[in-house]
Parts: sequence; C-alpha cells; structure tokens
Amino acid sequence: MTVWKTSRRNFFAHKGRMALSAVAVLLSVAFVCGTLVFTDTMNTTFDKLFAATSADVTVSPRTARGADELPANGEPVSLPAAAVEQAGKADGVKTAEGAVTSMSVTVVDSHNKNMGSSTGAPTIAGNWTQNDLRSMEITSGHAPRGPTEVMVDADTADKHHLKIGDELRTIAVTGDIRARISGIASFKVTNPGAAVVYLDTATAQVKLLGKPDVFTHISVTAKPGVSDAQLKKNVATALGDSAAYKLRTQQEAADANKDSMGSFLDVMKYAMLGFAGIAFLVGIFLIVNTFSMLVAQRTREIGLMRAIGSSRKQVNRSVLIEALFLGVVGSLLGVGAGIGVAVGLMKLMNSMGMNLSTEDLTIAWTTPVLGLTLGIVVTVFAAYIPARRAGKISPMAALRDAGTPADGRAGRVRAAIGLVLTLAGGAALLAATRADKSSEGSLFLGAGVVLTLIGFIVIGPLLAGFVVRVLSTVVLRMFGPVGRMAERNALRNPRRTGATGAALMIGLALVACLSVVGSSMVASATEELDRSVGADFIVQPSGNPQPIVPQAAKALKAVPGIEHFTDYKAVSAKLTAPDGAVEDEGVVAADPTYRDDLRRETVSGNLADAYGKDAMSVGDAYATRHRIKVGDRITVAFKDGGTARLKVAAITSDDTNVDKGAMYTNITTAEKYVPADKMPKNMIMFAKAQDGKEKEAYTALKDALAAYPQYTVQNQADFKQDLKDQIGQLLNIVYGLLALAIIVAVLGVVNTLALSVVERTREIGLMRAIGLSRRQLRRMIRLESVVIALFGALLGLGLGMGWGTAAQKLLALEGLGVLEIPWPTILTVFVGSAFVGLFAALVPAFRAGRMNVLNAIATE
Amino acid sequence: MTTAVTIPRHGGTGGRTAVAARARQVVKAYGAGETRVVALDHVDVDIARGQFTAIMGPSGSGKSTLMHCLAGLDTVSSGEIYLDETEITQLKDKKLTQLRRDRIGFIFQAFNLLPTLNALENITLPMDIAGRKPDAGWLRQVVETVGLAERLKHRPTELSGGQQQRVAVARALAARPEIIFGDEPTGNLDSRAGAEVLTFLRKSVDELGQTIVMVTHDPVAASYADRVLYLADGRIVDEMHNPTADQVLDRMKDFDARGRTS
Repeated sequence: MTVWKTSRRNFFAHKGRMALSAVAVLLSVAFVCGTLVFTDTMNTTFDKLFAATSADVTVSPRTARGADELPANGEPVSLPAAAVEQAGKADGVKTAEGAVTSMSVTVVDSHNKNMGSSTGAPTIAGNWTQNDLRSMEITSGHAPRGPTEVMVDADTADKHHLKIGDELRTIAVTGDIRARISGIASFKVTNPGAAVVYLDTATAQVKLLGKPDVFTHISVTAKPGVSDAQLKKNVATALGDSAAYKLRTQQEAADANKDSMGSFLDVMKYAMLGFAGIAFLVGIFLIVNTFSMLVAQRTREIGLMRAIGSSRKQVNRSVLIEALFLGVVGSLLGVGAGIGVAVGLMKLMNSMGMNLSTEDLTIAWTTPVLGLTLGIVVTVFAAYIPARRAGKISPMAALRDAGTPADGRAGRVRAAIGLVLTLAGGAALLAATRADKSSEGSLFLGAGVVLTLIGFIVIGPLLAGFVVRVLSTVVLRMFGPVGRMAERNALRNPRRTGATGAALMIGLALVACLSVVGSSMVASATEELDRSVGADFIVQPSGNPQPIVPQAAKALKAVPGIEHFTDYKAVSAKLTAPDGAVEDEGVVAADPTYRDDLRRETVSGNLADAYGKDAMSVGDAYATRHRIKVGDRITVAFKDGGTARLKVAAITSDDTNVDKGAMYTNITTAEKYVPADKMPKNMIMFAKAQDGKEKEAYTALKDALAAYPQYTVQNQADFKQDLKDQIGQLLNIVYGLLALAIIVAVLGVVNTLALSVVERTREIGLMRAIGLSRRQLRRMIRLESVVIALFGALLGLGLGMGWGTAAQKLLALEGLGVLEIPWPTILTVFVGSAFVGLFAALVPAFRAGRMNVLNAIATE
Repeated sequence: MTTAVTIPRHGGTGGRTAVAARARQVVKAYGAGETRVVALDHVDVDIARGQFTAIMGPSGSGKSTLMHCLAGLDTVSSGEIYLDETEITQLKDKKLTQLRRDRIGFIFQAFNLLPTLNALENITLPMDIAGRKPDAGWLRQVVETVGLAERLKHRPTELSGGQQQRVAVARALAARPEIIFGDEPTGNLDSRAGAEVLTFLRKSVDELGQTIVMVTHDPVAASYADRVLYLADGRIVDEMHNPTADQVLDRMKDFDARGRTS
C-alpha cells in the first residue's frame, strides 16, 4: 500500500515532467483511436449509402468480364426495354423500373469547366427513377422533363455555384447534351463526392447508351411480405435467359459495392495504424528517457528508501506504478482526443467534397479498449528498464553525491551488440541490392532495415559521442565557450542524447528513404520516357475513362504543323498460341508510327514488320511461356469480329514500364476482321510535331480540344511534370503522416532538455553567478538542443538514404533503374531539424533563464 | 578604517579609492506586514581594498544576505551599495551579470565547478564567457600559487574536495576581479584542506593585492582575515582587526551568551 502511495505522490509531484510523456502517449493513442473511429464511420456511412441506393433486386446484363467494368468503347452494356416489362410481370413484384447509368461521361458548365470531382470520385449521369428517391430528394425545381432539362446534385451545385436555369453540358461517347438545370436534388445519405446529373429517360437512353429503348439495369421492388431472395428467384424465372442477366438482391449489391470500397478502407486503415505504430515506437524512447531521468534525479531518495528497508521489488514496482498512472491518464485522454481526430478527418474529407455526417460517428467498444490497452502496455513496457535500474540503486546512494559513473563494461557490450546488428543489417541491405529475385530481395531489405535500425538505436549513445564532437567542431565552435559548454552538456549523458536523437532518427530515416525512392521513381520514369518516347504530344481523357470520339480525333488531325498522328486502340480478342493455349489477352491496334512514338526494344524480329500485313508482335513473357518464335502464327479471335491468323514478326522486351507485354498489330490489320461499327475508339492518341513547330502545334492542339473538355493534350514536359506531381502528392501525404512521429520525437527533445535544466539547476545558478548572461544561458541550451536534433537528423538521414538506395537497387528489377538522391530535400530536412532543435529549446531555455540565481545555487 | 593603499592593483583601470565596496543604509526585508522579516537592518559597511574581510555571525544573522547583496546576487529593499564608484542596486540583470562577470569573483561552499569542464577550463570560464583572453603570465602565476599545475586537465570528479576549492580560488583570482566573495569556502573541507585554501586566500591578499570578503562561522577561518565583522539580527554589532582564532572564539561566545540572556 505504501508503494502505491509513494508512487501516486511522486506522480503528482512531477506532473509537469510527466506532462510531455503523457502527451506522447496521448498522441499515439489518439491516432490509433482516430483511425479506427474514422474507418468505422466510413464503413457505416457506405453501408447506409449502398443500402439506400440499391433496389430490392437489381437486374443487369451479364457481360464477359463482369458487370461493373467499363467497356473499352465507352458505351455501357445495355439490356432491352422488353426485359423491364418481363421482370415486372414476375410474382411478388411491386414495381420494375428501367434505369440508365453511365460513368463514361464528362459534365461541364457553359465555360467548359469540369464539374466532376477533383479527388477521383466518379461523375455519373443517368435517368431519374423512383429508386433514386430512396437516397435523394428534389430540394428545388423539378425532375428533367425533356431533352433540354437536366437535374444536378446539390453538392455539385453548391461547389460550382450552379442555379436553376444554368446550362450544363453532358458529354458521353454517344452523345452530347446541352440542357438547362431544371432542378436540384440533395442526397439524404452521404455523398461520397460523386457529381451526379439526371436526364429524362428518353434522352438518357439515346445520348448515354446510343439507342432508344435500352437500359443499363432494372430496379425491382418487392410487394410487402416478399423477401428479396424470393423476389430474385421469381424475377429470374420471369426473365428466363439466365446467361444474359445478372441478378442481385439489395444485400448482394451492397456487399459487392462494399468489397471494392472496403478493401480501399482497409488499406487506408492499416497504413494509418502503421504510422500510429511508428509514433508509438518513438514514444517509447521518450518514456524511457523521462523515467530514466526521473530515477536519476531521485537516486538519493531511492537510496534512502532502500536504506530504511524498501526491497528492490518495491522500488521497482513504485516506478512501474507511476508508469501505469501515466499510461492510464495519457490513454484516457488519447481515446477522447482520438474521437476528435476522427471528427477532424471527417471535416477534412468534407472539405475535399465528401459529405460525411457526424451523426454516423461509429465508436465500436473495441476502439477505446484497444486504445487504452495499447497505451498502458506500451508505457509500462517502456518504463520497465528505468524501473529495473531504480531497483538496482544501492542504499549507499543515499549517502553519496548524485551521479554515478558510467558503466564501462555495459558500454563495451552495447558497442559489440550494436555493431554486430548494424553490420548484419548492412550485409542484408547489400544482399538486397544484389538479389536476382525481388521476393527474396525484399526479404533481405526488410531484415536489413529492421537490423540497421535496431543496431543504430543500440550504438546510438556511442555514435552520439562521435557525431556530437564532429558537429560541434563544425557548428558549435563558432559560438565560443557557450558552444563548447553546449557540446559538453550534450555529451554528458550519451545514453540520453542517443535515445533522444534516436527518436528523431526513426521518423527522419523513413522520410529520407521514401524521398530517395520517390525521386528515383521520378528520375527512372523520366529517363525511360526520354529514352523511349518519341511523340511530342499525348492526348488522353481528363477525368472519367472515356475513349476519344471520332469527331475529336478529326478535330485534332486538322491541326497544322503535325508530322504524324497515331491512333491507339485496345481491341478485345482471344489468342490461341501454337501450343494450343488460349488467353484472353487482347491486342493493341495502332498506326505503324507508334513504334516511333514509343520506342520498344525487341528480343528478336523487327518491330516494323509487326505492322505489316497480317502480322503482330508479342511480349517476351508470353513468347517464353508458349515457346513462340518469330514466324509462328497465332490465332486471334476478335470480339465482335472475325478470326485471324497473324504471323509473329517481333518479340518485344519486357524490360519496360510502359505497355509491358503489349501485343501490337496494325490498325489496318484489325480493321480487316472487325466491322467498322464494332471497332473500338481511340484510347489514347500520340502526335509528333514537324521540326521547329512544337510550340505552335501544342497551342493549336489545345485550341482544337477546347470544345472537348473531356480530353487533355500534354507535351512531354507537362506529362513528366504530371508524373512528378503525382508522386510528390503521394510523398506529401506520407510525410504528413510521419509528422506525427516527428512531433512525438520533438516532444522527446523538449522533455530531455526540460529535465536536464532541472537536473542542472545548481550548475546554471553557478554559471549565472560567475557572469553568464541570460542570453548566453539560453543560447547554450538552444545549441545543445540543436546539436541533439542534428545528431538525430544525421543518423536518420544517413540510415534512410542507405535504405532508399538499397530499395532502389532492388526495385531496379522492376524498372526503377535510376538512383537519384534528392539532395535539396535531404539538406532541407537537415537544416529544418536544426530549427526543430531551436523550437524544442524555446520553453526549457526560457525557464532556465528565469531561474533565480540564489535559489538555484542553494538547491540540493 | 581607511588603510593606506600601498599595494599595487592588478587589472582594471587606475585611480581607485581605498574602499572597494560599500553599503549605505542597506535594508533587506522579506514579506510584508505581520510576516515581515528583516534580514538586513540599515547596514553601513566599507570593504577596504587589498584587505581580507571576514563576516561572522550566528545563523540567521544576515551575514550571507549581506554578502549576496554586496556581490550583486541579491536585491536590496532600500539603501545603496557601491562597488568602487558604481551604484549597483539600480542595475538591471544584464548590467549586473556583466558586473559579476568582469569585476567580481566567487567561491561557494560547494559545487563551485562545472562537471563538464576540466580544471583549466573552469578557471578561465568567466573570461571565456566574457570573450576575453586570459593573461597567460598571470594565469600561470595563479595556477602555481594555488599549486594546481599538475592537475589542470582533470575533471572536477577526479579532484579531491580541497583541490576543487583551490580550483575555485584560482578561477576567482584568474580574472583579476576587484573583489572576491567567498561563501563559507572551507565549510565542506576538513581542517587540513581548509587551512590550505585559507592560506592561498591570505597569500593572494598579501602577494597579489586581492580584496576578499568571506562569510564564515569558523573562528579559525576568520583568524586568517585582516578584519572581522560581526553581524547579529541584521546589524553590524562589532568588528575586530588582525584577530587570532582564540579572540574570535571568545567574541563569539560573548555574543552567544548575550543572545541567550536577552
């Protein structure tokens, strides 16, 4: 009981010193709980959405590749209107409604500005049906009544300031609808960010599907008392042709929708939990340091306790109980803060156009339990080493002056273990760079990363001595004696400096590693583009996947100053290799100029010949798999077309990132077998300008596409920039998440300094007495902080660059051929960490400066 | 009390008066109203230049407070303190810090040295902080005087208590301050080590012309001084010149007896 009492008193006596550790626990727990609450809420939201949007039974046409896939030609697969009537006659059916939905659309306003989401959510166009009333309500105006009217969802209307009477243009492959807004409909459930427009049924059929009297699916509602499963059975019987239709009950439809959404949410959840884990790892250092310092400061007190009869176990336990208090307080606050984090994330999503309602906030009972358990277990675990050290304090410590000399033997053991781990890790990283198979290489890489990290943490205190000295000669010496004292202070307790720096090291190592991999990705892709791409311009759909309509292709081809245009079509086909194996690969039908637009290495044969009469090329992997040589013939059964026997004229190398494994044939060859109306439209187009006319041609191409906002033209530079931006964006998100770990590490630096200042109260008093000014004192503490931060940064960046380089060498097998170390980023992080050090020292330096000289000298 | 200044001064500028520091009507009170405690009660004192002054008195007499006020470590409630011609009670922290750094030396009872610096670095610390180069010849002389030439590279933890105090003395002397304040500098030492340190202090007054003010409650320590001031209840109640340990002890006993009967 007394143990309990002393622990409690100690905890509250040092609540200031405990506060930062508590914040570290709080942050980590909050991030875990926030992630869980957020993903659970997303799940609830989507459950509601999917339940609200699907009818009791939905009938859709069964296609070769699955119902939800977008067809290559941009025309949704449809079912005849007659099927709706048929379905309506089934037993137990209350209503059967034909519905039209297409995601192959682009919606723009009168200024050709895209109304679609910028976050990747789809743009959907369809007809307005009774089924839609379950998830939406018309809040102003009325549903579209003719080809000149359109209804838009309220979120899109709000975002783009649309009002009734404004013109919207809905562009589909099969039609182009200019209509005025007749109504605005609001979502009753969460809108995941999609832009939705409704047309009247006839217009939707003709313009979105290309012909009248067809639908994309049927929404069937049951009479009261009829189960969805029964209804599904009845409708299936009524429709007869089971091969042509796919039927799903509401539950099945929701499940199918959730599968794709759920796996995305899972990836997000585990990624975020991973970052929370890193924050926890960093938090461990902070807690170990805090308790080590508290134990060191209380050495005499603990010695006294031992002298008057406390057992080792009791001392040990009293420290652990303090940690338990810390864990409980930090975790409890963390769970609360976690809910705040979740709400914050929802607000963030809202600002990106996804309307999540806090009414759906879902807190599973497991969330607080997990948060509390994790927080408490980690805290007590981290305090275990200092607690054991406290237990080892001898009663004699009560009589001696504070401060025990460092244990030399432990240092040597530590050095040996750390060195072995680091060397083993280094060897594993080296093995990873030399691996032939990526599977085995990644195993080596993983082992190398973990071993070097642990190794660095273990030898951190020894490295601290060396690195701090080097840093001081470079940085601190210019600050004279104040710098020298800062150096000495940082070196005074290498274990503490090591642990504080290590906390920062972890986050920065990950930043460095990812930035090396990221910029290597950009450099490799750029290098490959430079090497292989001969085209000056590339035309692609801007948002929704939408093939290039012939009118747009024609408009582009009218542009002057172009040497050639290349059509590129993906044609579905079944391929039968000479060995009899059938594969559903499809072929690329392109103009012969394509081989200049995208230069490909060949393993054998000549790529130019593949564009000859009844010829084609295959990829290396396919050729090896089926033992195909140049000159062999492959049977190509075109979908919606005839069957050809094409001669293999070239085998292309698979050592590429673009068009890997693609099989090429000439468009004229494909046209011989596929009827003109079944021929897919261009997926993509390439163009090369005449020499010296690149600039004019680019402008002209952009002008030509002004009327077709659904497509974008890019030159090589813009294309590369796009690629860079995409990778940069991804990296920024990751850096953002790593910021959590870095914040915890900074708290660690603050804590170490604050406790050091307390520990050195007398010293500070002495220095002030003999003439150290407040400014000099503050500077001394700031410099110590900076040198600790730079130590962590140096280790972290070095380690991270090592990891990144090893990862790149390994990924070279996957086409990441160029290593690029982003020196500006690395340097920025290094310099930034000096500022982090300055920032961390703000409060401790201020408090040290305010100390009363006489009181400071008089403290025990 | 104005002894002739025949000893040449080291450092600083010339044209000094014979008084290194003086206090005029200094009052130091803590608290207010009922709980007001007066530590110094209208104290007037002159510290003669080139002399070794000891301040004695029972616990709570205000002797440490007086020293702290004279040294610019503590503020006064009223009255004036001059260091040479500088009125220091009006100075802000920055000026006061500079004053301590450049014109005053300190020797505390314990914890005089920075554990991270070696003996030499500790000795030159005040000058390092000020950004001044120590005078090499003078430094050598000081180091030799206190007998530390062999131990300059040692850290404080590697020195005995007596050696540590000698380093502290050397530090106080090295910067050639106008005045050195000692707060029971031998309080933590055994009699032999204490005698060593006091001998050095005495020597620095005799040979180097240093002005020293030392607070002590040890009659033997006080007997090294040229002059002993006795404080009681925040007032200077007596003084003695060129005392011996026995004389000091007797006087102390006197005060004690008076204190008990009053």
